[in-house]
Amino acid sequence: MNALVLPNRRIEEWKYTDLHNAVDAEAVSSAPTAAWAIARAQGDLDIDDLPKQVPFGPHGLMAGLAASLAKAGPSIRVRKGEKASLELDLTESGNGRVLIVVEEGASLTLIERQVVDGFINIAAEIEIGKNARVSHLRLVPRGDAVRVADYAVIVAAGGTYRAHLADFGGKLSRTELHMVLEGEGAEAHLSGVSILDGVHADVTTEMNHAVGNTRSTQLFKYVASGAGRGIYQGKVAVAEGANGSDSRQSAKGLLLEDRAEIDLKPELEILADDVKCAHGAAVGDLDAESLFYLRSRGIPEAEARTLLMRAFIGDAVDQIESEALRDTVWQAVDKGLEAMS
Amino acid sequence: MLEIKNLHAAVDGKEILKGLTLSVGAGEVHAIMGPNGSGKSTLSYVLAGRAGYDVTSGSILYKGEDLAAMSPDERAAKGVFLAMQYPVEIPGVTTLTFLKTALNAQRRARGEKEVDAVGVLRLVREKAAAMKVSEEMLKRALNVGFSGGEKKRLEILQMALFQPALAILDETDSGLDIDALKLVAEGVNTLRAPDRAMLVITHYQRLLNYIVPDRVHVLAKGRIVAEGGKELALKLEAQGYEQIIKDAA
Repeated sequence: MNALVLPNRRIEEWKYTDLHNAVDAEAVSSAPTAAWAIARAQGDLDIDDLPKQVPFGPHGLMAGLAASLAKAGPSIRVRKGEKASLELDLTESGNGRVLIVVEEGASLTLIERQVVDGFINIAAEIEIGKNARVSHLRLVPRGDAVRVADYAVIVAAGGTYRAHLADFGGKLSRTELHMVLEGEGAEAHLSGVSILDGVHADVTTEMNHAVGNTRSTQLFKYVASGAGRGIYQGKVAVAEGANGSDSRQSAKGLLLEDRAEIDLKPELEILADDVKCAHGAAVGDLDAESLFYLRSRGIPEAEARTLLMRAFIGDAVDQIESEALRDTVWQAVDKGLEAMS
Repeated sequence: MLEIKNLHAAVDGKEILKGLTLSVGAGEVHAIMGPNGSGKSTLSYVLAGRAGYDVTSGSILYKGEDLAAMSPDERAAKGVFLAMQYPVEIPGVTTLTFLKTALNAQRRARGEKEVDAVGVLRLVREKAAAMKVSEEMLKRALNVGFSGGEKKRLEILQMALFQPALAILDETDSGLDIDALKLVAEGVNTLRAPDRAMLVITHYQRLLNYIVPDRVHVLAKGRIVAEGGKELALKLEAQGYEQIIKDAA
């Protein structure tokens, strides 16, 4: 039997996230099957075990292992025109598999929490039907886990996928989102915040505008202190003939200490003629002038820094449509900032 | 209220203030005038405690306490306020949130009870009307997209809200048209009080037509070179800095 070699920094897509260094190959292949608990389910949805044949969308390097090693997993379906919300808590680590299908005209609000540590490797399929909508919040508290979560999301004509990744890091934390905007009018809006106090978080996205008149936005914010490390790798690909595609991509980082590191790598690959694409990335420190202005008004240093960090993160959190979910993320952010100061 | 004695201060290691002595009593309004590069802004930043503006010798006593030993936020809580020449734009923090946070931080530091959101809004509205600061401005991010005049009006609104014992106005007239200047001056004049001192730092005499000072000091090359009553400002306007500085030498 060939020895399993895990992705490492010699592989371009894993340059900043060395899984090989973080976990033994043996621990990966012998890991149990991950399990979820349904914390809350509302509306009309079917929850079953995975079918015999699970589709396998465009994924990254680790998803194949998860798919072949996971013995079971939840399969969630929202039928045509129905509305549902679901809160899924990952309760047992290991290799995991999830299938989510939201049929034509249906909508799903999905809140996913990863509260366990250990080794986690999840491959998830999300299929969004015509004119269907999915709002996805992925909440990962700070921990010691080594985790990879790889989503393949396929959006049909007129469908919308919104995802917010609030990842407060782990020993290694990698989220991959492989998006295919497959039908005209399909949209994807990705955002995320990471407060990384000595921990690691990597968001790697691939946004495929397969057909024209599709829209995508991405807005990610990172704050890193201690030996914290934040990574954003985002590739936007506009296929030949996908005219009228509109894509925006922005990632920004705030480095609070010299030891911290933030790597931002937006990429564009455009094969169509008539498209609107904008991307940007910037890393900086808290603005000294702003800090002085706030302090000169009586705001103590720690409070002024927190205020400026919240301001920095704010527009990414504002991408979340639901006020309740925004509040949930703000609470997590405030906890993260408080722990850091 | 404020006693500055033989103050030497350096910015990034370069000496800018070279033996400045100045005394401002409660209830008084003093003007500091000087040409570009004389050290006016350095003085205002030294008084507010900006990092990189270091006192190398001499002393600054505020109500008998060593001001230089305090952090910028301590100074503010104890009643020192600097209306800045270039108020900073802070995206992501609404003006109202900022005012509430600052007011309550000062109150907390003084051991006073914090004011709730409704109370802050009432206080701010009361002051905002006089300074023609609209509700819409209060909802916008702090100073972001504000015109020069709007920024200065917001500085004076803060002064009215915080009720400082010592207010330093750094080039408050710069970038203002005559109507905005009158409005700002009126705002400042309403705040003149027997228990409050003001230091008006300006290049031009124009502002002093509206905020009439008790004393005028001329700053040149980091020192006060001439002093007098309000008529000194007029003399400066007529003769220019060069002549006055030469006469003083």
